[in-house]
Amino acid sequence: MKLLIIEDDNSLREIMQRALQGEGYVVETASCYFDACDKIAGYSYDCIMLDIMLPDGNGLQLLEEIKKSGKEERVIIISARDSLDDKITGLDLGADDYLAKPFYMAELSARIKSVMRRGSGSVQNSMSTGNITIDLGSRRASVAGKDVPLLKKEFDILLYFMQRPGHIVDKAVLAEAVWGDHIDMVDNFQFVYAQIKNLRKKLTEAGADTNIKAVYGFGYKFTDNEE
Amino acid sequence: MKLIHRITLRLSLILLPILLVWAVVFYYTMVGEINDETDDSLEDYAEMLVRRTLTGGELPGQSDGSNNTYSIELLPDSVHHEQIMEFKDEQVYIPEKRETEPARVLKMTFSDGEGNTYLLTVSTPTFEREDLLLAVFWHLVALYAILVVTILAVTALVFNYSMRPLYKLLEWLDNYHPGNGVDDLPTDSQTAEFKKLTESARSTIERAEKYFERQKQFIGNASHELQTPLAVLGTRIEWMIDNTQLTEEQFAELTKMRQSLHRLSRLNRTLLLISKIENAQFNEKDDVDFVELIRREAEVYEEIYGYKEIECRVELPERFVVTMDESLATTMVTNLVKNAFLHTAEGGSIIISIKDGELYVANSGDEALDATRLFDRFYTGGKSGSTGLGLALVKSIAGYYNYALKYSYNNGKHCFEVRFKG
Repeated sequence: MKLLIIEDDNSLREIMQRALQGEGYVVETASCYFDACDKIAGYSYDCIMLDIMLPDGNGLQLLEEIKKSGKEERVIIISARDSLDDKITGLDLGADDYLAKPFYMAELSARIKSVMRRGSGSVQNSMSTGNITIDLGSRRASVAGKDVPLLKKEFDILLYFMQRPGHIVDKAVLAEAVWGDHIDMVDNFQFVYAQIKNLRKKLTEAGADTNIKAVYGFGYKFTDNEE
Repeated sequence: MKLIHRITLRLSLILLPILLVWAVVFYYTMVGEINDETDDSLEDYAEMLVRRTLTGGELPGQSDGSNNTYSIELLPDSVHHEQIMEFKDEQVYIPEKRETEPARVLKMTFSDGEGNTYLLTVSTPTFEREDLLLAVFWHLVALYAILVVTILAVTALVFNYSMRPLYKLLEWLDNYHPGNGVDDLPTDSQTAEFKKLTESARSTIERAEKYFERQKQFIGNASHELQTPLAVLGTRIEWMIDNTQLTEEQFAELTKMRQSLHRLSRLNRTLLLISKIENAQFNEKDDVDFVELIRREAEVYEEIYGYKEIECRVELPERFVVTMDESLATTMVTNLVKNAFLHTAEGGSIIISIKDGELYVANSGDEALDATRLFDRFYTGGKSGSTGLGLALVKSIAGYYNYALKYSYNNGKHCFEVRFKG
């Protein structure tokens, strides 16, 4: 899998590259509009991460170029402007996803996987880790082929973990992903523990071979039991 | 005190003594004039008498109806007589009236060709003069009063008329609110000072408007610029946690760093949102059902703050639809409800209701909050952990749609009220 990161901030570009390489991708970078045009014209990539605010041009214009030239690249827009207008324009122009800065690497990685899955042409919209499989369309989870009824929040939490296997997940970040802005300023995460406890119980009862490990004081790590 | 009243008062304070002095001077000048006139006629009379005496003419009778009296007295030869001519005020017996009246008296000496010296005494009663002076006095008083009133009235009228540009300017300044743009300034005055004042006011306001605009832009730009470094920091910390061997201590430190960073990111995002609202970048018009919205939010917060065991009562109608941007409606409700849950002590109570087109969010609390600063950015009322931006955000949204937002404290409850019809 070959990725292209178009980002003008050197430090961010470098750490994104390092982190994604760590996940096994081949990563190339471009720091400006001009560079990016060159790379896109000369090579082909599976997925492009595009910062729309570049020193010498607008990323949205670049996106237009990519789509016009009929290339197959998936594009994830990365923007410092968390603006609905930009998001809509970007998606209208054919971007596959939109991620506002600052973001978590795990989030980006999950988005890349999700975009690539959609792009692989397979209609099946499901993910699996160990013997757990979840269907994103019908929002159902199953363990070893057997349905496990989950409540909405439980499903969201499981989905979040499945997108980040092996990563340590901050409970605050997890809470924010599932409960949204509501958890702003919360200092008691009792409600997260309660949901996790139920989820764990349901998964264990169904015989799942995965484990939601508590990382003390920080959050959780979702792993295959074999690891 | 209005300027016109102040000026009228001051004018009357100055005018009263000046006109009074003028009246007194005028009165005494009049008295002098009248005395002069009396003396002149006495002198003419005396001259006539002297002429007739010397030419042996017939002297007028004592009772010719003029109330004038005279006497001619031959002075003894033996003494040498100074030439005298003097006026005096005396009491004189008037035979016609048979009474004594105040009178003006002229005593003068004259000689005939034979060396005889006579003393002539002429008198004319002055009661007519007294009457005259009285009349003059009362007229003067009337004139004085009329003059003062007229001057003041005319001044007030002229002042009011001349000052109209000033009042227009004041009204214009009153109507100005920073950030709402500048209305056309009335500039029909031809007066140099008003032209200058208008010009100054306009340039000051325009400058203020520019600063306000720049301030808004600054917050927006600064927040934007912070996003990338925040992303760098977050990503790098995450990388270290995921990819390096850490001791428990290091891990704990990194975790704390990441939590602080997380807070910083939220703060920045909220600032961006406020900046966006103030730059009027929300133009979506959605029909938002507040009842549904509130039920959803209240449920989430009841779950999140479940450990506090707060009793949350919701009194809502079937539907309550407001046309506004949906994300702003959500932000407003979220922040009000979150604020209530966050600041209610364990075991407290919350009431959320919609009545008569108003949304009430009330929660129990010990003492009233500082209503003047409550909606200020970064005002946390001494509570740590709060960003102090939640209510500022609510205020910005209410301000954007011209909704009235009010805080009150009674019966041990903080009450936030949003009136939707502007």
